[in-house]
Amino acid sequence: MLSVENLSCGYGRENVVNQITFAVPEGGRLAILGPNGCGKTTLLRGIMGFLPSAGTVTLDGVPLSSMSARERGRNLAELPQMGTASFAYSVLETVLMGRYAHRKPGFFSAPSQNDRRIAEACLKRLGLWEERERPITELSGGQLQRVLLARTFAQTPKVILLDEPTNHLDLRYQAELVSELKDWTAEPRRAAVGVFHDLDLAMDFADMVLLLNQGHSVFFGKKEELDPAILNGVFGMDVPAYMRRSRKRWESLGG
Amino acid sequence: MSKGKGKFFLLAVFALVAVLLGVGAGSVYISPPKILSALLGAGEENTRMLVLNLRLPRVFLAFLTGAALSVGGTVMQSVLENPLASPFGLGVSAGAGLGATAVLVTGASAGAFGAVLLPVSGFAGGVFTVILVLAVSRALDRRMSNVTVVLTGMVMSLFFSAVMDLMAAMSPEYAQRIGLWQMGSFASRGWRAPAVLAPVFLVCFALFLFLSRELDLLTFGEEQAQAMGADPKRSRRILIGLVAVLTGAAVAFSGIIGFVDLIAPHVARRLFGASHRHILPAGAILGGSFMVLCDLAARTLIVPREIPIGAITAIIGAPFFLWIFFSKRGR
Repeated sequence: MLSVENLSCGYGRENVVNQITFAVPEGGRLAILGPNGCGKTTLLRGIMGFLPSAGTVTLDGVPLSSMSARERGRNLAELPQMGTASFAYSVLETVLMGRYAHRKPGFFSAPSQNDRRIAEACLKRLGLWEERERPITELSGGQLQRVLLARTFAQTPKVILLDEPTNHLDLRYQAELVSELKDWTAEPRRAAVGVFHDLDLAMDFADMVLLLNQGHSVFFGKKEELDPAILNGVFGMDVPAYMRRSRKRWESLGG
Repeated sequence: MSKGKGKFFLLAVFALVAVLLGVGAGSVYISPPKILSALLGAGEENTRMLVLNLRLPRVFLAFLTGAALSVGGTVMQSVLENPLASPFGLGVSAGAGLGATAVLVTGASAGAFGAVLLPVSGFAGGVFTVILVLAVSRALDRRMSNVTVVLTGMVMSLFFSAVMDLMAAMSPEYAQRIGLWQMGSFASRGWRAPAVLAPVFLVCFALFLFLSRELDLLTFGEEQAQAMGADPKRSRRILIGLVAVLTGAAVAFSGIIGFVDLIAPHVARRLFGASHRHILPAGAILGGSFMVLCDLAARTLIVPREIPIGAITAIIGAPFFLWIFFSKRGR
């Protein structure tokens, strides 16, 4: 569905990520992993077209670079890192903004019945319907992130990109977000690509893994095929052993 | 009637009261019925002259200027995702002022093109300053944080004001005019100024409304706007250019009047939420009415002299600015 070929991008003259190639099939959930500064977020921003890049990104065989801004918005969406809201839009107004790419330009084109129906469905799906009139400036971080997820769903894209979407979220919100995303990708003609800092959460989310080290791809494939030795090499520690020890600590709780 | 429509109705009543007060109050009081008959071409000759040739154009100019500054402020805040941004704070007003002062001092405004040259030079100065402030902010701080942008704008405003002072000192024959103009005034402009400003305002306002959804998206930042399918770089350039045109034209006629561009959008947002479909018209009416009332105070508080309008808006606006700044931090 989403296919990335030889993508290189960066901020200045030097590339931060080099020659990255991967493909995500329909229903696929890819986690991009790697240590701090390896270029995960940069790669995501390159795919979104926020950064100048070399290489090609195609969606169902159509290069993103050949699409108009709106066309791209109808196909590809991004759930950003948790942010803060500066202006007091209502929850419903915020989610309706997700319909932007589907609406005709201009002042007089009000949201259609269809736009409203989709926004309502997304709000209900995430348990936000009762909150629809609340200003987003009054929401907690976790609630705001849910609203942004509803907005991303309302965009009805084929692919959602996620940039460390669970950063700074409480554990419960992290788990809920990942489960919502898994449900979403289970529907036809959808896929998701996420950058995760938390390896445990990444493993929960993904069925495929792209492992980056210093801007280069060191592994791409099914999650089960990831050789722990490669992972340990990249992170400079025995990751599975650490996770097992962590699990034990939790199992010992409450005797 | 929905809640929003009810609020707009109240706003319209407020605007009507402000305009009636603006036209009616002064050395000679004119009652609303007399204003109406003057407008219809009836009533005493003197009253008609006073209403049609003096008070009405002045109120009209004040309203347009207030509306223009308010709308400019709203757009600037949204485009920079910064509730503290304003054309005044970003130095647009000072830059526009400098452009217009240069025209005054060189005597170019006296020629046949004077009427056009003044707003055009104000506009050029305004555009130049926005570009300068944003470029300097970006060079200092790649993320262009609120504090950097606001501080750079302040510094640039002070700097341009100083250059204007310098020009005034060097050409004493214009010093008084420049000095008055630095604090703003709507005195004795006749119909020429509002006749030029009105179409500029209407065109810019219509384009802002047309781009109101892009404005909504831009408040979430350039990348999120792009991720939702907008073309934020293009919209941003157009919007900032239009703000410079509008503010530049307003400043060129009436001088530098601060804080309205900060206060009116905030009050509009308090009352009507965040959607630009609502806050652009609400802000325009609020800013316009507020400016008419400020001008009323300017010309009636210490009769027979006039207080510069900029002094009044600043006396009300400065504490307001502090309140916004610190109430936001407290959250």
